[in-house]
Amino acid sequence: MGMIILGLRNLLRNKVRLALVAILIGIPFFLLLAMYSIGDAMQRQTKIMNENVNTVVQLRGRGSMGHVNMVGQDRLLPQDTLEKVRGIEHVEHAEPYLLAMAPITPPNFVMHVGLATNAVKRLESHGEAGNPRIIAGRDFMPEDAGQDVAIIGQGYAKWAGITPAQIGDATITIDPTRTHPAIYGMDRPKRELRIIGMYASGYIFGDLQLFMPIETFRSIYGTDQGISWLFVKVDSVENVPLVAQRLRETVGDVADILVPESAAVFTATTSETVTQLTSVGGILAVTLMVIVVFFVLLMMVRERAREIGTLKAIGASNGGVTAQFLTEAVALTLLGGVLGLLLFRGVGEMVTGRLFALSIGPFLPSHYKPLFESLAINNNLSASALALVLVIAVLAAMIGSAYGVWQAVKLSPLEAMKHE
Amino acid sequence: MNNALIEFRGVSKSYRKGSEVVDAAANVDLRIQERGMVAIVGPSGSGKSTLLHMMGAMDRPTRGEVLVAGEAVNRLSSGELTRFRRKTVGFVFQTFNLIPNLTALENVALPMEFNGVSAAERSARAKALLVRFQLGHRLKHRPRELSGGEMQRVAIARAVANEPRLVLADEPTGNLDSRSGKLIYELLQEVSRERTVIVVTHAEELAKLADRVIHIRDGQLVEDPNSAIRLASNTL
Ligand SMILES: Nc1ncnc2c1ncn2[C@@H]1O[C@H](COP(=O)(O)OP(=O)(O)OP(=O)(O)O)[C@@H](O)[C@H]1O
Ligand SMILES: [Mg+2]
Repeated sequence: MGMIILGLRNLLRNKVRLALVAILIGIPFFLLLAMYSIGDAMQRQTKIMNENVNTVVQLRGRGSMGHVNMVGQDRLLPQDTLEKVRGIEHVEHAEPYLLAMAPITPPNFVMHVGLATNAVKRLESHGEAGNPRIIAGRDFMPEDAGQDVAIIGQGYAKWAGITPAQIGDATITIDPTRTHPAIYGMDRPKRELRIIGMYASGYIFGDLQLFMPIETFRSIYGTDQGISWLFVKVDSVENVPLVAQRLRETVGDVADILVPESAAVFTATTSETVTQLTSVGGILAVTLMVIVVFFVLLMMVRERAREIGTLKAIGASNGGVTAQFLTEAVALTLLGGVLGLLLFRGVGEMVTGRLFALSIGPFLPSHYKPLFESLAINNNLSASALALVLVIAVLAAMIGSAYGVWQAVKLSPLEAMKHE
Repeated sequence: MNNALIEFRGVSKSYRKGSEVVDAAANVDLRIQERGMVAIVGPSGSGKSTLLHMMGAMDRPTRGEVLVAGEAVNRLSSGELTRFRRKTVGFVFQTFNLIPNLTALENVALPMEFNGVSAAERSARAKALLVRFQLGHRLKHRPRELSGGEMQRVAIARAVANEPRLVLADEPTGNLDSRSGKLIYELLQEVSRERTVIVVTHAEELAKLADRVIHIRDGQLVEDPNSAIRLASNTL
């Protein structure tokens, strides 16, 4: 008991060092929390994917990409496909999309997407990602249906010279006559759309889209019939094969049916990768903490060699002296932990995102990165998670300090005094 | 003859310095009776501290047997050594070695705490000791707020806190001016009425106050014709 109090009092001997060490321990602690929260966010993301993505079947016109103005790719799904699909059992809802390409300089394309105002905003070739983050302005509202409004990707906006500050006032002109080797012009009047929102997906092609209400799209391009993409939401993962079978039976002659196997595989492998990487990151953080505590304690033991010898000479037991130093180590760790936690509460969300992009992002296939832009990092960890991390940290501190202390304590008082 | 407090039987302590072996103590036979003050004198490097450390279980001999209060100190386990240091011996260092962040009172109370004395009792006893050593006005002072002489008096109070039969002091006045040193001699002499005090010293005056002087050269005892009590090994 007495030695524990002595250990705690020793903390306050040198306040500058106390602050320094608390920071040194606080940083790996922060990293540990960050790794934990990334793993946690990934698990939640996986759950969301399982509920939302792996239950979505995509339909396109047979053998086509479905773009209304692409050469040879203008075959759309017949409009009645929607009614047929909605009649299938276990289909929760079906969302139609219309797509058109437009050329931009340097030779590149942007994609115009018409969709229901409440539909998921899907990104080309990353339909599974869905709903990129709105970074300026607002999202669609039901009143926007049929209005000349649009939400623009940040890449497209940059090309058009629209800054986030201009959102709400800026307009963009849709010109269906503009052509390109892969695009055929449509003899239709131009239309100005007001940009109400800007989104960011985190990857180049994903940011080159423009979303507008589907009615607006139809009137611009004169496509009052037909569907480019039809996303079909099934009520549960188990019913996906059944629904796919029924889809083949009812609309298989006009539609390509894309069942979310690839999304499921993606989810499994990616979440596994992220889990592994966060574990590695967590282990590294713990290792860093052990090393910091180890060297700090080693330094303290060296510095107080004479004191250890004296304590032993006046009758302190080896266990007592060890307890005194371990108390100090644990208290330092807890203090560092509190500091790390405060740091995490303060800037965790921001830094964890960056950390993720830097430490884990590079290990993922490039086209999966946008997913993690939307990864909701939770900087409000549960008490049990926090307790777990703290216990790991304290154990690490004790392991880190025990060795150095024992090296000095096991000596005779005389040798201990010379152990500097 | 048999109730000596300290008995050394053929005690040697060797240090290896590269290929050379230094005998800090060479086959020492020695008996020291209970109570009184014994001074150990000799040139620097002659082995005075080595002898003292072995008496106080601060260090183990390379060969031979060290008996203190009937216990073969060189054969005690680590736990038994801790008990021995708590109950039987008190140490006074040349550099005082007080715990810097504890007050004078707490420094004196610390060995009693190791010995399981209750908080109230150890505080009362520590205070009484410090008052007796004329430090009643310095109870709450930390070592850095004390003079050298005051620090050494606190250290002596700490050494006698558990009422050990043996107090060992290694050049206790080495870091003090002569006036403070004198006070320390008197204090040690007073303490030696109830117990055995062994002092390693270069100071003539302190040696004169001793009931017995042990001379050492090259790790060996040498006969001292002026000593009041002849060396025990020579009387055997
Ligand atoms: N840890 C050690 N390693 C090697 N040699 C040592 C060690 N400790 C002491 N010695 C040697 O043992 C001899 C006796 O040392 P000791 O400290 O007992 O001398 P001393 O009489 O106390 O000297 P001083 O008056 O200078 O304090 C010296 O030659 C010293 O160099
Ligand atoms: Mg010496």
